[in-house]
Amino acid sequence: MRRALMLTGVVVATLALPPLLSGSQLTVYVLLGLAAMVTVGLSLLMGYAGQVSLGQASFYAIGGYTAGLLAVHGAPSLLGLAAAPVVAAAFAAAVGTSLLRLRGHYLAFATLAMQLILLGLLSRADWAGGAIGLRGIPYLSVGGFDLREDIQYAYLTWAALAVILLVAHRIVRSRAGRGLRALATSETAAAACGVPVGRYRLVVFALSAAFAGLAGGIYAFFLGYVSPGSFPVLLSIEYLVMAVVGGLGTLSGAVAGAAAITLLVQLLTVIGTQPGMPSYAPSVLSYAVYAVLLVVAVLFLPRGLVPTLLSRKEPS
Amino acid sequence: MRNLLQYLITGLGLGCGFALVGSGLVAIYRVTRVVNFAQGSFAVVGALFASTLLAAGVPHGVAELLAVGLAAAAGLLVGLVAIGRPGTSPGASLVVTLGLSVLGYAVAVLLWGDQPRSFPGVPGAVDILGARVRWHYLLIIAATGLVFTGLVWFFSRTYLGKALSACASNRYAARVVGIDVTRMGLVAFALGGALGGLAGVLITPVQQVSFDSDVALVVNGFAAAILGGLLRPGLALVGGLLLGVGQSLVAGYGGAGYQTQLALGLMLAVMIWRAARQPVLEEQAA
Repeated sequence: MRRALMLTGVVVATLALPPLLSGSQLTVYVLLGLAAMVTVGLSLLMGYAGQVSLGQASFYAIGGYTAGLLAVHGAPSLLGLAAAPVVAAAFAAAVGTSLLRLRGHYLAFATLAMQLILLGLLSRADWAGGAIGLRGIPYLSVGGFDLREDIQYAYLTWAALAVILLVAHRIVRSRAGRGLRALATSETAAAACGVPVGRYRLVVFALSAAFAGLAGGIYAFFLGYVSPGSFPVLLSIEYLVMAVVGGLGTLSGAVAGAAAITLLVQLLTVIGTQPGMPSYAPSVLSYAVYAVLLVVAVLFLPRGLVPTLLSRKEPS
Repeated sequence: MRNLLQYLITGLGLGCGFALVGSGLVAIYRVTRVVNFAQGSFAVVGALFASTLLAAGVPHGVAELLAVGLAAAAGLLVGLVAIGRPGTSPGASLVVTLGLSVLGYAVAVLLWGDQPRSFPGVPGAVDILGARVRWHYLLIIAATGLVFTGLVWFFSRTYLGKALSACASNRYAARVVGIDVTRMGLVAFALGGALGGLAGVLITPVQQVSFDSDVALVVNGFAAAILGGLLRPGLALVGGLLLGVGQSLVAGYGGAGYQTQLALGLMLAVMIWRAARQPVLEEQAA
C-alpha cells in the first residue's frame, strides 16, 4: 500500500514537473531521463546477471547513430527511433556470443575495448560524418506532427523510461528473473538447476543494450547532432557510477542513482562556472565527484543508496 | 628494408612502454588478484610530474627518478584504498581503482591543465644499417631490459621478492609462515606504481601524454599482460613487444589510424581464445 502510494507520488511528480521547468532545466530533465534509461539496463545486467560492462555508452552511441542515420537519409523518424533499440540489441547479441564467454575483469576490459574500437571506427567512417559527427538530424515527427519543443521530449523520455521500467520489472519478477539472480550468485549451481546460463546472460546483455539504444535514439532527435565525442569512455563510467551508487539490481535505485548524479554534477557545473572560478573547475569538480562517490559507494555502501536508506527506515 | 628496421625499433620502444605498464598490472594482480585500472594513471602522473620538474630546471635523471618515486607513492595510496579495507573483494577493488583513476583525472587537470605535455628526451638520432632511429628509442629499450632483469633478480633472490611470489602462489600458506599478505599487497601496488611511472617518463619524449592518456595505456598494458594470463611478467614483456611492433608495422604500412583497433581486436581474440580453452570454473569459492 505504501509502495503504491509512493509510486503514484513519483508518477504525478514526474508528470507535473516539466511545465514548471525553464529551458535549461528541461534539458537537464531530458538528459536525466535518458541516463536513467541506460542505468536501468546496466543495473539489470550487473545486479541480476552479475556482468560488469564498461562499454554501455557504445550501445547508446549505436542507438543514436542508427536513429540519426536513418532520419538523415529520409526514413520516417519514428522508424529510426524504433530501429535504435533493435540495432543496438542485435549488435549486443552478435558481439555477446563471444564476449560473454569472459568473466569479471576480462569482461570489463573487453567491453571497454569494444567501445574504444567502435569510437575509433566511427571517427573514421565518412558515411557517418567521421570525427565531426552527424549533423542536421530532423525533429522526431509522429504522424506529420513535429516534436519541436523540449517539453515534448521530456514527456517522450519519461514515457520511454516508464516502458523500460515496466519491462524490467516484469522480467525481474518472472521465472527468468529468478534464474538470473541464481546465475549471478553461482553459475554452476544455476546451470545444475536447469537455468540456461549462456542464453540468459546473452538476453540480458541484449536487453540492456536495447534500453541504451532507445535512449540514444531519443538523444539523437533531441539534440539533432551525434558525434564520437558525445560518447566518451567517461560516459560509460558515469553510468557505472549511477548504477553502483543507486544500488545494483534495484530498478528504483537505478533511477535514483541517475537522478542524484545528474543533479549533483549539474549543481557542481553551476558552482564551477561562477565568475572567479578557473576554467577547468567544472570538469575537475565532476571528475572528483564521480571518483569519490564510486569509491565510497563500493567500500561503504555496497548495496547502494536506495536499499540502504530503505532498510534504515524499515528495520527488519 | 630500411623502413622495416625503423618500424621494428620504434615498435620495440613503444612495446617496452606497454610491457612496463603490463608488468605493473601483473605485479599487482599476482599478489592481490586485483586488476588495477589506475595503472595507466601512474604513467600519466609520473610523466606530468617529470615535465614540471624538468621545466623547473631539475637535471635529467634526477627528475625522472623523482617522478618514478611519486608514481610509486601514488601506487601505495591506490593500494591502501583498494585493498586496505578488509573484506573487499577483487571485483569491488577493480571498481575502486576505476574510481581512483577518475580521481587522477581531477588531480591531473587541477595541477597540469588539460593540454597534452611532453619533454625532451635523449637528443639526436643514430643510423643503424641505414635506418634512422632516435636515440631515445634505444634508451627506452635498454632501460626496459635493465628493469626486467632487475625484476627477475628481485623476485628470485631477495626476501621481499620471494615473499611476494609466495603470496602469489598461495596466500594461505604465505600467511601461515608469517608473511603479512596485506602488506605484501601494498608493496606490490607500490612496485606497480613505480613500473607505471617508469613507463610514463620513458615514453613521454616520443609520445605526448595528457591527463586522459591513461585509458589507452592501461588497455594496451592489459593486452600485453593477458598473454601470460596476468600472472607472468616475462610473458607480459613478450606481449608488450609484439603489440608495439605490430602497431608500428600496421601504422607504417598504410593502416595508420587503425593500429589501436587492431591491437584491441587482437586482445579480444586472445582473451576469448583463452576462455574457450579453459572453461571457467574459477572464482566460485572464496
